[in-house]
Amino acid sequence: MSSLTLAPTARQRPRRLLIGLGGALIAATYLFLVTVQPVEIAGGVGSAASLVTLFGFLGGGALLVGGILPMLSTSSLVVMPLGIALNIAIGQIAGSLGMQIYLDAIGTVLVAVLAGPAAGAATGALSNAIWGLFNPFALPFAAGAALIGLLAGLAARYGAFRRVYLAPAAGLVVGAVGGLVAAPVAVFMFGAAGTFGTNAIIAVFRSMGDKLLVAATKQGLLSDSLDKIVVFVIVALIVYALPPRAVRQFPFARTHRVLGQRTASEPAGGPAATVRGDGAGIA
Amino acid sequence: MPRRRIYDPLTELLAAVLLVVLVLVVNRWEFSLAVLVLGVLPAVLLSGRPRQIGLAIALVTGPLLVSSLLLHGLFFPEGRTVLADLGIARVTAEGLSFAALMGLRMGVFSGVLLTAAMTLDVPELLASMTHRGWNRKLVFVVGSAVGLIPHVALRGQRITRAQQARGLVVGRGPLSRFRALLTVLTPLVIGLLVDASERNRMLEARGFSSPGVRTSYLPDTDSPRQRLVRRCMVAAVAVFSTVWLVASP
Repeated sequence: MSSLTLAPTARQRPRRLLIGLGGALIAATYLFLVTVQPVEIAGGVGSAASLVTLFGFLGGGALLVGGILPMLSTSSLVVMPLGIALNIAIGQIAGSLGMQIYLDAIGTVLVAVLAGPAAGAATGALSNAIWGLFNPFALPFAAGAALIGLLAGLAARYGAFRRVYLAPAAGLVVGAVGGLVAAPVAVFMFGAAGTFGTNAIIAVFRSMGDKLLVAATKQGLLSDSLDKIVVFVIVALIVYALPPRAVRQFPFARTHRVLGQRTASEPAGGPAATVRGDGAGIA
Repeated sequence: MPRRRIYDPLTELLAAVLLVVLVLVVNRWEFSLAVLVLGVLPAVLLSGRPRQIGLAIALVTGPLLVSSLLLHGLFFPEGRTVLADLGIARVTAEGLSFAALMGLRMGVFSGVLLTAAMTLDVPELLASMTHRGWNRKLVFVVGSAVGLIPHVALRGQRITRAQQARGLVVGRGPLSRFRALLTVLTPLVIGLLVDASERNRMLEARGFSSPGVRTSYLPDTDSPRQRLVRRCMVAAVAVFSTVWLVASP
């Protein structure tokens, strides 16, 4: 911590505690479902497993959002609804263009790249919560979406968007982690029901004798990795096309030079002067 | 004609969520079917929008039910009672039973939550959250996002039409589709970010980030009796769930 960095205030500590609790609850839920819970699917998935899935992942996501939101700056907050609306609306555009993948995390990754991992995580979780009003099956995947936002923000912070060829590699890793987290939710809540395409992949693994959780995990690793590779490349190309002024209004993107040389140069008295005090370190 | 609202949106949403929890706790197809027939169906019929809600439930749940039936009906290696052997696929009684259990659960899940959501008045929900002291940043993000979704979809359609008028042709190959998506997304995101930047300045000028009590322009539809009912519902479901899970083998 530098001499200019303020120590966490008394108001910030409980928020960080909420974030820690949320993360721990999501991790504990995942570990419970994967390691402790016996997956003898023939007699049904069991009510305990379904309840743990619902409350563990949703509760963890809610704690994360509860801890993150009060810490976010106004510039991060105003871009979050944009990301949420993009997540939901791009699915429709992709459908009208005949795309065969969902691309439902473009808004989350975009917010994470511009406003940081915390804003990305909150956007992911809230996106699925709001999407739940139109499609309830999206609701239990909120924690996975938060994780994708968090990891995308961390990837941006450590330079994954400074070169276009680094973005797909980061997307591959983030997609694999997202697929791992989403698989137990799909299995224990809905018996791994999904689209015809994803279920065809699960059917292939099931015909080889895999248990449902194993088959859904393998499918998640394949589908989510491919989806996130495409999403990360799309977001990278979009942010490269943005005017530098639009990127520099975000303290996170400016401070951590998320786009490398594209955001490094800052004119004196430029936009940075108007958004000072927005909490770059927090977002 | 939309029905007259009797309860606060938070009460209705909580009741829907608790019904889903009960279905997960009991985990029997008979109970799920009873909730569908005795709970969801009357609620849809009395909602004032039975056609729209019924269509939404069918569109959201239908494809999932069919794909679930195909997946578990044909590929269920744990199944022992084989009804038909189709080479790599086997229809088993256990697979069909599992598909039915999951199908009914999904039906209740989407039926209950979609009925609650589609009869919900979002401004009333946001006002209720404000009156209950929920984080105002959360209320802002939820309210803005719900308002932005149709705006973003409309702007996306306009940009798509404009690009098509300028010669955008979507080919069959993935690269062509990828390029088409980028030509629509880039101006869409730039426009939305410019809007967000202006909104940021306006909110800051009006003291959005300053602490203090906020005023809601909509009256509070909640009441002490409803708050008591909500607490009682949560307590009753918690007690029932604990007893059921402990007592069941």
